[in-house]
Amino acid sequence: MSTAIFRGHARPLRFITCGSVDDGKSTLIGRLLYDSKALMVDQLESLGKARGAQSQSGKLDLSLVTDGLEAEREQGITIDVAYRYFATPKRKFIIADAPGHEQYTRNMVTGSSKSDVAVLLIDVVKLDFAQPTLTLLPQTKRHAALAGLLGLQHIVVAVNKMDAINFDAAKFERVVNAFGELAASLKLNAFTAIPMSALDGDGVVAHTVRTSWFQGPALLPHLESLEVSEARGGTTAHIAVQWVTRDESDDHLRWVTGDLAESTLAVGDAISVFPSGASAIVGAIRTGRGLIDSAKPGEAVAIRFDRQVDIARGDWIIAGNADAQVLTQKTQATIAWLDNAPLTVGRRYVVRHGSRWLPARISAISARLDLANGQWQDTVANETGNPFADVNANDLVRAEIEFAQALPLTAFAKSAALGAFVMVDPGTNATAAAGMIH
Amino acid sequence: MTARDAFLSAPTLTENSVTHDHLNWLEDEAISILREVFGGFERPAILCSFGKDSLVVLHLAMKAAAPGKLPLPIVHVDTGHNFPEVISFREEFVKKHGVRLIVGHLDDSIAKGTIRLAHPLESRNPYQTITLLETIEANRFDALVGGARRDEEKARAKERVFSHRDSFSQWQPRAQRPELWNLYNTRITQGEHFRVFPISNWTELDVWNYIARENIELPSIYYTHQREVIERGGLLVPVTDITPPRAGETVVTRDVRFRTVGDISCTCPVASTAASADDVILETISATASERGATRMDDRANDAAMERRKKEGYF
Repeated sequence: MSTAIFRGHARPLRFITCGSVDDGKSTLIGRLLYDSKALMVDQLESLGKARGAQSQSGKLDLSLVTDGLEAEREQGITIDVAYRYFATPKRKFIIADAPGHEQYTRNMVTGSSKSDVAVLLIDVVKLDFAQPTLTLLPQTKRHAALAGLLGLQHIVVAVNKMDAINFDAAKFERVVNAFGELAASLKLNAFTAIPMSALDGDGVVAHTVRTSWFQGPALLPHLESLEVSEARGGTTAHIAVQWVTRDESDDHLRWVTGDLAESTLAVGDAISVFPSGASAIVGAIRTGRGLIDSAKPGEAVAIRFDRQVDIARGDWIIAGNADAQVLTQKTQATIAWLDNAPLTVGRRYVVRHGSRWLPARISAISARLDLANGQWQDTVANETGNPFADVNANDLVRAEIEFAQALPLTAFAKSAALGAFVMVDPGTNATAAAGMIH
Repeated sequence: MTARDAFLSAPTLTENSVTHDHLNWLEDEAISILREVFGGFERPAILCSFGKDSLVVLHLAMKAAAPGKLPLPIVHVDTGHNFPEVISFREEFVKKHGVRLIVGHLDDSIAKGTIRLAHPLESRNPYQTITLLETIEANRFDALVGGARRDEEKARAKERVFSHRDSFSQWQPRAQRPELWNLYNTRITQGEHFRVFPISNWTELDVWNYIARENIELPSIYYTHQREVIERGGLLVPVTDITPPRAGETVVTRDVRFRTVGDISCTCPVASTAASADDVILETISATASERGATRMDDRANDAAMERRKKEGYF
């Protein structure tokens, strides 16, 4: 085996960029790809061919790098989440680029579900520094609220267009303080704010003399150094069973496959199966790298047990005894509605939880997220009419969901595997909603 | 410091130093996607051109099935204009691994009249889609796994891992299903199918690093060899019966390798002396032209060429 020139020893970092094109989001992504040399000659030429590529200053318009589909270029809008890739000698990066205008919640929820980190852009040109108390834009509050709800592990605040305010350190400090108050009110994880000019490159790959007053890292070195975890703080290992295979060379022994979540699982560990309640001991574990004694969260595993166990796709393997399985049929969840057809309370939808499909319905809605300020409005505060009658695409609500059978549910904050579900419209098969268990 | 120098000076991996390093993470993600296909569909298949990306997918699929056998057939769309090295590789691969191969012949579509060429030497690449769709319908496949990567081309950057196709096999970029966590919505009605892309998140460099690490065998044309070519419009066009020299062109012999494997009429090699996967990695790090741009005549015509072909059902 040749490892002489194998590079990239860290786990890839997945991040979502939140902001609109006006905030310089596309320019920032273009800058990361350009400065890390992820753009090749013909892609740059292709930028030159694209309509409207000449910027006024005569500089290459880096924002066009992310402007994907012909349909979008014609209309000057971005339709959907796009994925971009670049690598440095230290790390591979996967960017979920969510467009900022229409369908924003839908795109940000989708992109965040596949991300570890959110990079929130703040355009300082849009802020009114003349006011005694600096007020952040509604979209910043919305982005921060969504990043918190989706449980992203880190938030980076990219304070952009610093060139337009002469790289004023005091103004940067005011932005940081305002975001700090927002983060506290939303109970967010710690954040890092970085001053930059994506257009000119200051603070992106490295700081320049214009940002030399800033003590922290530039964006790229910061992203290179972030530690991310496959686990969320749950303690019990679990696996949604994907598929069962047989070893034809060894008495047709059954191997059960799936992704290990939240904790390690080792040969000799006791497990139980949902829903049968059967118990067994882990006899052998294999990954793409071969047989191992102990698997870590995030690994795709195949497991053989010490006895024949009745198990199939849709089941769960959970560490410990069957007595320890806590089953819930009706619970509170945050629902991000994605479908253009509105939510119908009481209607039967199909839900995917782990690898299991089952019917479920929303029985009551108790609060709605006000996307203008990131605050929840509950029924008590809104007694005029019924503010919860209509739940449309891009709405976030707190609701009671009732599943057709009791499931081993866990709070989303403790396990993305046991705590997340998707709702599908049984008539159209459209993905209707993303759900997160409280 | 150049990008190449930076890569070479980065610390070297010590065996097993990191469980979930870069390639292991990508490998696990791909294996998980493949097991969704194995467990979640009635009649899945793997589409394979026997190029490097689809061979990486096959390698991952065999790992995903281990210690069991590959639970689905391999589909090859044969344009009839193949590099002979690729067809002999295909035959050996099938024999060695005992996999089930289904070949869709473009010549059959021509004989049936569903494909009509404007002239006999016309590029057959655009017509592959018709034969592919006929093969899907004949076998009633409900999921087709492919080796496409999002970094290849703009229109692919928004492609889903599980990409829904309607009963005319059309991709509708505006009506794509959002993909949340790994809870893929794989529900379909009769006649529809999914295209599934387990190495969506891999770059060309990831693919070559993985080929080197896993010692994955590739058709010989991926490594340096001497070949007669014509220099035409910045491309090295291989001299074959299907792509003969035009009047006034000079045939030269060069050290070349192919970066992609497609229909002879539209696939060009690049000048290279890379004889191993490691050599290719060093070349790739230093490369200044992306994969499709340097080697595919069909994508150069128009920036939106791929998007249009994908909407029509191209892989």
